[in-house]
Amino acid sequence: MRDVVVVGASIAGVTAASALRAEGYRGRLTVLSEESRPPYSRVPLSKGVLGGTQAPETTALPALPDDVELRLGSRATALHTERHLVELEDGDPVPYDGLVIATGSRARRLGAPGQGGELVVRTLEDAEAIASRVPGARTALVVGGGFLGMEVASTLNRHGLAVTVVDRDPPLRRLVGSWLADLVVARARAEGITFASAPDGVALVGDPVRGAAVAGGGELHADIVVSAVGDLPNVEWLQSSGLTVAGGLVVDASCRVAQDVVAAGDVTVVEVSPGVFRREPHWTSAVVQARAAALTLLHGAGEPYQPDHYFWTEQFGLDLKMAGHLPFTGAPRVSAGDPASGSALMAWFEGERCVGAVAMNHRMPVVRLKAMARAA
Amino acid sequence: MQISVNEAACEGHALCQLAAPDVFALDDDGLVQLVHEQLPEALEARAEAGARVCPVAALSIVR
Ligand SMILES: Cc1cc2nc3c(=O)[nH]c(=O)nc-3n(C[C@H](O)[C@H](O)[C@H](O)COP(=O)(O)OP(=O)(O)OC[C@H]3O[C@@H](n4cnc5c(N)ncnc54)[C@H](O)[C@@H]3O)c2cc1C
Ligand code: SF4
Repeated sequence: MRDVVVVGASIAGVTAASALRAEGYRGRLTVLSEESRPPYSRVPLSKGVLGGTQAPETTALPALPDDVELRLGSRATALHTERHLVELEDGDPVPYDGLVIATGSRARRLGAPGQGGELVVRTLEDAEAIASRVPGARTALVVGGGFLGMEVASTLNRHGLAVTVVDRDPPLRRLVGSWLADLVVARARAEGITFASAPDGVALVGDPVRGAAVAGGGELHADIVVSAVGDLPNVEWLQSSGLTVAGGLVVDASCRVAQDVVAAGDVTVVEVSPGVFRREPHWTSAVVQARAAALTLLHGAGEPYQPDHYFWTEQFGLDLKMAGHLPFTGAPRVSAGDPASGSALMAWFEGERCVGAVAMNHRMPVVRLKAMARAA
Repeated sequence: MQISVNEAACEGHALCQLAAPDVFALDDDGLVQLVHEQLPEALEARAEAGARVCPVAALSIVR
């Protein structure tokens, strides 16, 4: 293999490129990125950057080695697997021997076509746009009570805004289970967050957007309205490629997609049981997959990679590190601290088997937390 | 080459350790520690790969 092209230069693409070099690949390595900014971490965007307390530059990932050609502002528009070519929006098609697809996902939007001013949090520009409006704002409405929506609500609340979160479902419940969700939501309420329920969904109102109409009753208005309603894998450019898409680009257990093509990160789905495809759109999983993808490209499909179910969130003064299969059912056993005091180490069991562990404002090596959740 | 650690930024997610266990370790508080004071040349590529996966950009590569 003498010519590897990586499409997408966020954590999955950067890790794949880095891993290829670390594994001894010495051929040409080109990384295409649609964004104009050099690679950065999205993780701080909903935390420090959104509130304007963390400088955007501090999110930058360490630069790729000089022997990797990073082409910013290069959007791939089509893939021809039989001709081994990536077509670009601007410029000549790029040939490859080996291809890494790491085009991630984008924020899902709720606005009607043409409706202006909808705010989301996916890119550095998105976070900067919100941060620039915080100083003049008094109220905020966050549509979506998932991890992202709750982090956004927490950050805006810390900056003195009166924040309402609206969702169809009880916030976080589907993601982490009732016990932990209730704990976090109680904390959020105590910090002054208002929760609104919209079982039949909402529609954004105004142009530019200034609120949301709750299906079946009432409108909520705010100075800042942020949609945090999930993300959509960037697979459209693969439409005519012949690769299999099922709610995301399908990869096998070693991140292979097709001959000479691998993929990693938020763009991917894995078949967890026949006909059931699952995404794991988190940082750790992007890193683990990207490394597996690089190895597979270099050495052919090898060992299946070991999925690493580790995730964290920071909101309402709670630093939550979670290992195991979310969501967790029922109440945990407390191994240290006291959940009511805001600091604890907790474990969830199915029978005698530990299925998940959470460190809440509790310092310990993450490897130990993961070991707890793996303990049979 | 050296790795510089922003200790105040590290949140102990251990991604660096996962990528390069011979370069990065975690202390009892779960915060990053460098295994070698002077990074051996043979580990440079791995150290770089480890530094690039930190979600809070707490690690930088100094040349
Ligand atoms: C605000 C926020 C906070 C988060 N916090 C956490 C957290 O605390 N913990 C956690 O585990 N995860 C968190 N995540 C999730 C984590 O950031 C993602 O899982 C991770 O970014 C996935 O990386 P990726 O490289 O697969 O995709 P992405 O980060 O989506 O990157 C894909 C890149 O490919 C580019 N691209 C897309 N299409 C093309 C094309 N056709 N041609 C060229 N380039 C293209 C995109 O512009 C983008 O730069 C957070 C995400 C967000 C948005
Ligand atoms: S990856 Fe970053 S945050 Fe995690 S332990 Fe290493 S330096 Fe700290």
